[in-house]
Amino acid sequence: MVKKYTSMAYAKADDMLFGNSKYPVKAGLGLEIGAGYTTPELNYAPRPQAGKSKDKLIKEYERITTDAMARMVQIGAPSIVLETEHVEQMSNNPDWGGAVAHAQKTIMEEYHDEYGIKCALRHTIGDIREDRDYLQLRGDKYTTFMEAFEQCAQNGADMLSVESMGGKEVFDYSILRNDTAGILFGIGVLGSMDMEMIWSDIADIAKKNGVVAAGDTDCAQANTAMFIAGGLLDKNLAHTTAIVARAISASRSLCAYEAGATGPGKDCGYENTIIKSISGVPIAQEGKTSTCAHSDVMGNLTMQCCDLWSNESVEYHGEFGGTTVQCWSETLAYDCSMMNTALKLGKGKDLRDILTLSDKYRDPQGYVLAYDNAYKVGQAIAKDGNNNYLRSKNAAIECCNIVEEGINSGKLRLTRFETNALAKVKADLVALTDDADKFMSESLTKYKQEVAVFRPENYGL
Amino acid sequence: MLDLKLEDIDGILVRYNVALEKEMTPDEAAEELYPKDELIYPIAKSIYEGEEEDVVDGLKAAIAAGKKPIDLINDALMIGMGVVSKLYDDGIIFLPNVMMSADAMLNGIEFCKSQTTEVPEPKGTVVCHVAEGDVHDIGKNIVAALLRAAGYDVTDLGRDVPVDEVIEAVVKDKPILLTGTALMTTTMYAFKEINDKLLEKGLKLPFACGGGAVNQDFVAQYDLGVYGEEASDAVKIADAILASGNDIEKLRAEFHKH
Repeated sequence: MVKKYTSMAYAKADDMLFGNSKYPVKAGLGLEIGAGYTTPELNYAPRPQAGKSKDKLIKEYERITTDAMARMVQIGAPSIVLETEHVEQMSNNPDWGGAVAHAQKTIMEEYHDEYGIKCALRHTIGDIREDRDYLQLRGDKYTTFMEAFEQCAQNGADMLSVESMGGKEVFDYSILRNDTAGILFGIGVLGSMDMEMIWSDIADIAKKNGVVAAGDTDCAQANTAMFIAGGLLDKNLAHTTAIVARAISASRSLCAYEAGATGPGKDCGYENTIIKSISGVPIAQEGKTSTCAHSDVMGNLTMQCCDLWSNESVEYHGEFGGTTVQCWSETLAYDCSMMNTALKLGKGKDLRDILTLSDKYRDPQGYVLAYDNAYKVGQAIAKDGNNNYLRSKNAAIECCNIVEEGINSGKLRLTRFETNALAKVKADLVALTDDADKFMSESLTKYKQEVAVFRPENYGL
Repeated sequence: MLDLKLEDIDGILVRYNVALEKEMTPDEAAEELYPKDELIYPIAKSIYEGEEEDVVDGLKAAIAAGKKPIDLINDALMIGMGVVSKLYDDGIIFLPNVMMSADAMLNGIEFCKSQTTEVPEPKGTVVCHVAEGDVHDIGKNIVAALLRAAGYDVTDLGRDVPVDEVIEAVVKDKPILLTGTALMTTTMYAFKEINDKLLEKGLKLPFACGGGAVNQDFVAQYDLGVYGEEASDAVKIADAILASGNDIEKLRAEFHKH
């Protein structure tokens, strides 16, 4: 059952703060996420050759888990979440994923029993629903996909997540052609439809197994836009276009919580502050501590309302300070220690604002995702919460308005190129119909013709 | 919430791109680069603008005026795309403009081919693929589009391509360059297998690799590997091969920047 959000979880933006969510989530071994403290969430990738066999992979994750847990107790961290993002072998062979979850959880239980450290294990299943040529969202692979969640839930994973891919075929085509309607159709319409389907099923599996249906991220689309946009000097995509895609992605990723997920949202969902404002679910975020995986232009800002603080991903190997999972979990833990101290001293909101302001005017993406502006995008979504298309369009237009306000204030300085790109996106959006059915019909006709790999049957159309 | 005063922001961050933005608009910069020939000019301009139908209209007019369709590929379409590539390399226009121009140019090439029995002189073939087990292909799509825009024939094997299929394509198409992209650490290991199988068969050609988790250290571990940090490096590597040969150490000296 999908119940859409039509109001805000928080009465005002200022009520949002790191380490605190309206609806905390209990998970794993003694952990409560969003219940007044922040927790590091460590993410890692096995070395390239580790995927050669099931046994090698399990061994690799045992080493990763032991290293991380050992470092956490060595520095006195009170809590930790480990996130295992599946390599394709683990989701295509659900028993591999289950075996890895079991191996990791066994080690975590030993540490919890011996030291009392609060901990939980998140498994993020790979979205394997595609073949060489096409997405296969509802095809044969769906059964395997769901079985991967089931196996992990049965064997030790405390939280289930995915980075789902619905709408990506249209988005990938559109983002490289400045096609605003296609971006909106890919993320806001097709992505949302797929999210509603998969998250109803994931929530059922979680409920049956007594684990947490955590949440999704629009990594496949909004992060693709963010990465193509790159740094200030990169010339691949206007940052103003990238943040419009991000605003739309909040409407799409929200669908997980409407279908039964409870949080914490996935770390790479930079849309999560917007989602928290509407839903009140706890969120994971990444920023300056995920420079091991990628660069962004809002490294501090993303910490503003996080409940889990993540490094996104790092390949497991040795560094001067230990293995990478030890180095990065330690960095995360000290950041959390700082946030938790601020909370205890009653200075949480001051620290939040310092984190936000240090990046707010760096780039239009950070400007819109600053919690005060993110809240406004949330309101635009909730206003027409029952209509996936309209709320996505609202979010995009509100995003444009916010950036314009920033430019007019003189504090957000953009190139003419970015300003022109913003004007184009806004003009495109304003010209779109308010009728969801009409938009769907026109988009189906257009993208069936233009995008060779678009198969409407993937969305039950 | 707390806020910064306008005058305080510059001490916290610098928008170098705003400070350095060129005065000239992209349209003005393009105008300076178009060929002056009155038949070629509208074709080049239509490619810059990404207007497929206008490109074909321009080609029709040029053919009607006596130009040979096969010559128009190099003398008009590639010239127009050259304008776009230069503006992109100079940081004046952005990637979506290049993609739309490439679509328009390729459409124009197909039109020219349909108007003649002559076959255009190939510049060279590049085989592109995404590693086995990996379905993330937007990077490869950008690479393929940029290579085509630069006049190379591209054999696009798609994504999640088995190692043996890559080897077969290299044997069959005899490319000057093979490219591989991957997002995941576990899938990029396939690059090493491809490298080993190519060498077993005595096939020694540059193998340009890049993408999400791929880094220079990894690519330098196998003999044929040349690391490409940006999608546009694929074109630069192909151009370097045409200009100075396929010596992998030389290519690494030029493209391994770290």
